[in-house]
Amino acid sequence: MALITVRFYSLWRSYLGTDSTTLQADDIEDALAQLETRFGPRLREKLETAGVHLDGKIQDYSLILLNGIALRNIKSTALKEGDVLHIFPPAIGG
Amino acid sequence: MKSNAADKDIRRCVTESAESHVGQDGKAHLVISLKTTASLSSSQKVPAKEVEITALKQGIIPCRYLRNIGTVGLDGQIKLLQSTVAVVGAGGLGSTIIELLARQGIGHLIIIDNDRFAEENLNRQIMSTEENLGQYKVISAAKRVKEINSATTVTTFRERLTGDNAKSLLTGARVVVDGLDNLSSRLVVEQTCRALAIPYIYASIAGFNGQLMTIFPEDVGLSSLYGSSSDIVPEQGIETRIGNPPATVALIAALQVQEAVNIIAGVGAAIRNQILLVDARECTIDRIELGK
Repeated sequence: MALITVRFYSLWRSYLGTDSTTLQADDIEDALAQLETRFGPRLREKLETAGVHLDGKIQDYSLILLNGIALRNIKSTALKEGDVLHIFPPAIGG
Repeated sequence: MKSNAADKDIRRCVTESAESHVGQDGKAHLVISLKTTASLSSSQKVPAKEVEITALKQGIIPCRYLRNIGTVGLDGQIKLLQSTVAVVGAGGLGSTIIELLARQGIGHLIIIDNDRFAEENLNRQIMSTEENLGQYKVISAAKRVKEINSATTVTTFRERLTGDNAKSLLTGARVVVDGLDNLSSRLVVEQTCRALAIPYIYASIAGFNGQLMTIFPEDVGLSSLYGSSSDIVPEQGIETRIGNPPATVALIAALQVQEAVNIIAGVGAAIRNQILLVDARECTIDRIELGK
């Protein structure tokens, strides 16, 4: 079990009303499950209020980096003490 | 190619045409007016850009750049005038980028876009007007650049950038600036810029939020955000739901232009191997270091 920091950015930070949290987790899957339980409903509710309906869990509609690396590029799912998850919405418009 | 005698002649003409001007700092500077630049360009049969560069090399400031020199210096302004910048997309981000690059005094702009102005562009695309709806964006952009800065030359490509044409469209650019609205085209630009060894200034927006990262060939890039597998990248983000408001577009485009100036004039550090996250509503800017 590792103590990790989760940092929220831009719109997610505004909607959740906090810029970071800590949690104890064994691996990435565990951390994401805890995040979904603690923040998923609130985030979706805020988005719904703004007229945005998104299906799925936080990881399905967010960009998530572990220590600056996209989760999709990470092979080992184990977490270590002091790891940082960065979470923010995808912005692709111009 | 001009002969040495012709070069000397232009230098002499520029020197003789220079006037003294007391700047904001209370000091006198030698300057050359827009009218004189145009007149010398015509009489000496050289582009206005060459007249301006000749002047700057002698410490004579074209009046139009007087408020630039304090930040980029004479050498920086010369480098900007000698540079080609490619802007891919002339819509929201792109049109503001083009406007600012022309005012900054970039020597040559390559503008790539295959789209026409539509009513939903009017909220943020600064070159769109009620009058030019339906017109190709590259045509309006080239016209606007000419109105702003006659020394800036423009090459337009009224086509969509693809894997097939990207290399030929971007070759020769000192920097490529992102004015796109989809991820698949950005991945093509990134790949092409790596192959051509050109810095690529990526940015995107959604609602009041924007992202920016400058990618040099040896840097981490878009895969650090979206992963390395191209089949799982999203084509669009939440901007399709929360929109593209004008102030966010202008803010992010301005930061992109500053990146281009930093790189070309060598006046500041580019945002490399980091993602800059801007929240216009909360007025916050965060940077996340990206790893490989």
